[in-house]
Amino acid sequence: MQKLSSKKYDSIPFSVMIFLAWKNIATKKLRSAITVLGVVIGIGSIFFLLSLGLGLQNLVTNEIIGNQSVKSINISSPNSKIVSLNSENVDRIGNLSNVENIGVSYSFASSLKFNGSEIDTITYGIDKPYQDLSDFNIIYGELFSKDAVQDAYLNKAALEAVGLTEDLEQVVGQKIDLVIPIKSDADETEISQSFKIVGVIDSGAGSEIFIPSVVFEQEGVEVYDQAKLIVSDADGIDDTRKQIESLGFETTSPIDTIDQINQIFRYFNIILVGFGAIGMIVAVLGMFNTLTISLLERTREIGLMVALGGRHKDMRRLFILESILLSVIGSIIGIILAVIAGGIINTVMNQFASGRGVTEGFDIFATPWWLVSGLIIFMALVGLAVVFLPARRAQHINPIDALRRE
Amino acid sequence: MENGGMIDPKSEEVAIAVRDVQQQFNINNQQVQALKQVDFSIAINSFTLVYGPSGSGKSTLLNVLAGLQPPTNGKVTVQGQDIYSLKPDELAHFRANRVGFMHQTNHWIKSLNVIENLSVPLYFLGYSRAKAKKLAMIALERVNMAQYAEKSPLVLSGGEQQRVAMARALANDPVFIIADEPTGNLDTENGDAVMNLLLTAQKEFRRTIILVTHNMEYISLADHLLKIQDGFVEDIPSTDRSKVMKRLLHDVNQRIEHLSEVKKNAKAI
Repeated sequence: MQKLSSKKYDSIPFSVMIFLAWKNIATKKLRSAITVLGVVIGIGSIFFLLSLGLGLQNLVTNEIIGNQSVKSINISSPNSKIVSLNSENVDRIGNLSNVENIGVSYSFASSLKFNGSEIDTITYGIDKPYQDLSDFNIIYGELFSKDAVQDAYLNKAALEAVGLTEDLEQVVGQKIDLVIPIKSDADETEISQSFKIVGVIDSGAGSEIFIPSVVFEQEGVEVYDQAKLIVSDADGIDDTRKQIESLGFETTSPIDTIDQINQIFRYFNIILVGFGAIGMIVAVLGMFNTLTISLLERTREIGLMVALGGRHKDMRRLFILESILLSVIGSIIGIILAVIAGGIINTVMNQFASGRGVTEGFDIFATPWWLVSGLIIFMALVGLAVVFLPARRAQHINPIDALRRE
Repeated sequence: MENGGMIDPKSEEVAIAVRDVQQQFNINNQQVQALKQVDFSIAINSFTLVYGPSGSGKSTLLNVLAGLQPPTNGKVTVQGQDIYSLKPDELAHFRANRVGFMHQTNHWIKSLNVIENLSVPLYFLGYSRAKAKKLAMIALERVNMAQYAEKSPLVLSGGEQQRVAMARALANDPVFIIADEPTGNLDTENGDAVMNLLLTAQKEFRRTIILVTHNMEYISLADHLLKIQDGFVEDIPSTDRSKVMKRLLHDVNQRIEHLSEVKKNAKAI
């Protein structure tokens, strides 16, 4: 026989603890199923609503921000009489440490003659970096090459204004006539020139025409309407903006819009979670009820296990494990069902939308991994809190009282 | 045990030594003295029979021996180790490792089958499920119940359940087996079968057996008698066994006479 006083000894393996907890859950099938169902409804509804909130948030953000980079800054001058956005100042901004690339644009009201009609448009004179930073959504043809002087592209709204909506390939290569009045300090001149259409883009609701900025520079226009830059380090964007603003310019960034969208959706999501929380209360009450009844039913079994050599803390752990098993199983099933439900609704919505002429597919439900794992961990923590009292009582069961004969 | 069941407490042969043990309980603010002054030793590989009337402190004594009830005073030493000087977790390990316990009514973990129930003490000793099952199967084969391994213990008859309980008491390879009226709920045939298993455990597997029973016919199986009465334990030398038998038979006769008196008086009223 082994020596008794050996201080070191093994205790029950964790895998066996899980086995014992699982056996008890599996034996009480109906009760466990109902308890799990409570968790499924609670976590499932929270996941469904949050996934909807986040999906809508993404959708709105994408719609508004589009392809704009969060690293970009738009610069304009609030009062061009005091600080003008001329090439000197643009160079100065371009030399700031965090600036990777900077582009400029002019904008003038103009009139366009094309396809037999004459309409008012806005003409933008942009340089190559500005075009690169703008991520235009080109639907036919192409943008400027580097040395283009006579090329132009226009947006769909301008084509519609002159009565061309189909046959985009016929548009490309045609000539347009532009008249652009230029106001400078001293005199008033105008640019009157022909351009060749190279592409069509989708942007804005009003008619817009884009031509190379060289056209304006040759005419001696010194003050740009806007500059756009991209920073190399997104974390430093605030500092860069402050530096530019200290020169007297105004800056905007897509981040401003994203912040506003996020703020609105923060409240929206809190309201959604509030609805889901009602389901959670049901889940928590169900779990507490099941664990308490389980404790009362198993007082004798726990006494037996202690008499057979179980430690008191093993009994507490057994209950904690059961609670966490119920929570995790319930939340996984709940999330799976919520994802399936969301997928079905999303498909139906997409079909409905495409029936009404929406060509692009969209996702109104988001399923980020942090939400999946976060909710499972959250439910496991709720399970821990719920089992606190039953587990403590299980730990303090006296085997002699529990096994006393009737 | 030539000296009539009495052994030297310091001897290597001692499995359990109980010294000056007292046990008080506080029930409804009343002090109850369950064990008043208990001293005895139990030899390794002996078969001890504990007898005494209900309420004499038998159950309390068994719980103290099994490492479940720390006594108010005194010491319980198992193979030289003062078990109540152990920390609670070490005491739990002692129960898992050294004690086999058979109860009058059988207790089971309802969600587990026979072989898993047998494995429970082994689980607490740190065995994996596979290893525990292997050892439990050996114990189950010893009581000829191997064919019931995958059944729920609840569907077995009382006698079969007691055999499985016996196997559970053997599975962890304990120093001693405490059997608390294991035949109490069984008919004679099944009761004898359980006694047979206990004797086998003693003779073949060299276990120390402590049997508590009301059925004094089993007295002949024991080689050590402990009489417990009013919280005192009396070590009865085996030489006095015939005297004990005579007194028991005398007591039974007296009781029969007393009860017939009661019956007569009851009629008179």
